[in-house]
Amino acid sequence: MDLPQERIPDCTGWRWVTDRGLRLQTGSHTLARYKLLISRNLPEVESIIPADDSILLVLRSGVGISAGLRAAVEMPLDLRPQAASRLHRIVVSYGGKGGPDLAALAELAGLSQQDWIAQHAAAEYRVAFLGFQPGFPYLAGLPEKLRAPRRAEPRVRVPAGSLAIGGSYTGIYPESGPGGWQIVGVTDVVLFDPRQSSPALFVPGDRVRFEAR
Amino acid sequence: MTGLAVVEIVCAGLCDLVVDQGRPGYEHLGVPHGGAADPAALAVANTLVGNDATAAGLELAYSGPALRFPQGGTVAISGACFCATRSSGTGVKWNETLMLEPGEILDLGAAREGCRCWLAIRGGLEVPVMMDSRSTFLPAGFGGLEGRALRHGDVLRLGEVAAAQPLLRAVPPADQNGSCLRVVAGPQAGLFDDAGLAAFFSETYRVASASDRRGLRLNGTALSRAGTELPSQGVLPGAVQVPPNGQPIILGWDGPVTGGYPVIAGVIWADWPRLAQLRPGDGVRFVTVELEAARALAEAEWEIGEQA
Repeated sequence: MDLPQERIPDCTGWRWVTDRGLRLQTGSHTLARYKLLISRNLPEVESIIPADDSILLVLRSGVGISAGLRAAVEMPLDLRPQAASRLHRIVVSYGGKGGPDLAALAELAGLSQQDWIAQHAAAEYRVAFLGFQPGFPYLAGLPEKLRAPRRAEPRVRVPAGSLAIGGSYTGIYPESGPGGWQIVGVTDVVLFDPRQSSPALFVPGDRVRFEAR
Repeated sequence: MTGLAVVEIVCAGLCDLVVDQGRPGYEHLGVPHGGAADPAALAVANTLVGNDATAAGLELAYSGPALRFPQGGTVAISGACFCATRSSGTGVKWNETLMLEPGEILDLGAAREGCRCWLAIRGGLEVPVMMDSRSTFLPAGFGGLEGRALRHGDVLRLGEVAAAQPLLRAVPPADQNGSCLRVVAGPQAGLFDDAGLAAFFSETYRVASASDRRGLRLNGTALSRAGTELPSQGVLPGAVQVPPNGQPIILGWDGPVTGGYPVIAGVIWADWPRLAQLRPGDGVRFVTVELEAARALAEAEWEIGEQA
């Protein structure tokens, strides 16, 4: 084994998560770096997991950091506007039984429910990353005024398709299950189907808009 | 060869799962690695029955099933030793090719020590491939047999094989067991105070009963840290997260792919076999190793040879 290649690059942005995960601090350029990394088809990389302000590279067992990987990590990013990524239009029933927290969130924001819905539906969101459940999107771009903390008491069961607010993100629960985000609406779209060749509706970088039914 | 060879579940164990080498590469969609908790052990069992290492077998935890082989079969078992018996009265050896007669019942019984074993059957288990894997993913209910653990009355189909089967045996790498988990420092280790780090690296933590393939929950001295909420980051099996109550959780094979809790340390890949054998009540201790040492430990391999 070539030991010099095993060293962590001289950059404080690198950290190991176990001996197979390299955590790269990416700040506000996570998606751009993620796109660059996936375009490289690096043979020693098993998985690339984008998150808030970092990317985790899962390396195959027994391999180190190659020159190609190091180059892909240190290469300057092309931050010019990219070719438009996919845009999804999601129809939502806001409020009512499917959105039990809407009234409280509108009050928190100092808006009428109608204005809260209008502001939520006017924004364009970007899939920052997926996690929590298969296909659960963390959608960035929530207007500041609509941000809200998670519920103090998580719900035991949030229905599938629930549109939710968690901190600075909006998201949709693909499956029924426990959940701590504030529920403001519901949609019929299927977000995850493991039988499909593209099992998740969204991939990181996709754009999303909501329409009130 | 009829091509219709099957295995019947006469009596199910506590949690019998169809697994293979997992489904790496889908984490960015929120789907964890999954698969056998000790992938090398299942791969070796597959080799002993003449399967490709990636074939699907069974992962059995705590207490295994009774399996009937109407057409007979060739099997191998690796991992923790269970009190297994054969209806023919022949003994059941671990890490060896076993030939079962038509109609024979293999009853796995309960684990003598440790938690999990892996059973490979010649031909491999024919369940649908989902996202490049046959592994069961219980939290979302897909993969394996209908996304669930096996039940009494289930029938699993086997794939076909052509080549003759030699009788083989395997010897695991030395040093596979133990309560000592080797870790590399985690990305947020620096957030913990000296007392917390000292406790984490010197005291024994006990595996809590609420542990499963998503994570091993530990009980011990609570670890306090500075600061509030962290941004979500990518995580992987072996990462040791510390939630607000200060009790560490070692993320498991079906655990989340992102997490907002600080990661104090990461159990090295070479110690996945140890993680796989922990059960509630077991004590564990953490020791740090250098990255190069972790890589060297990961190179330990099973030895496979002819049966004597």
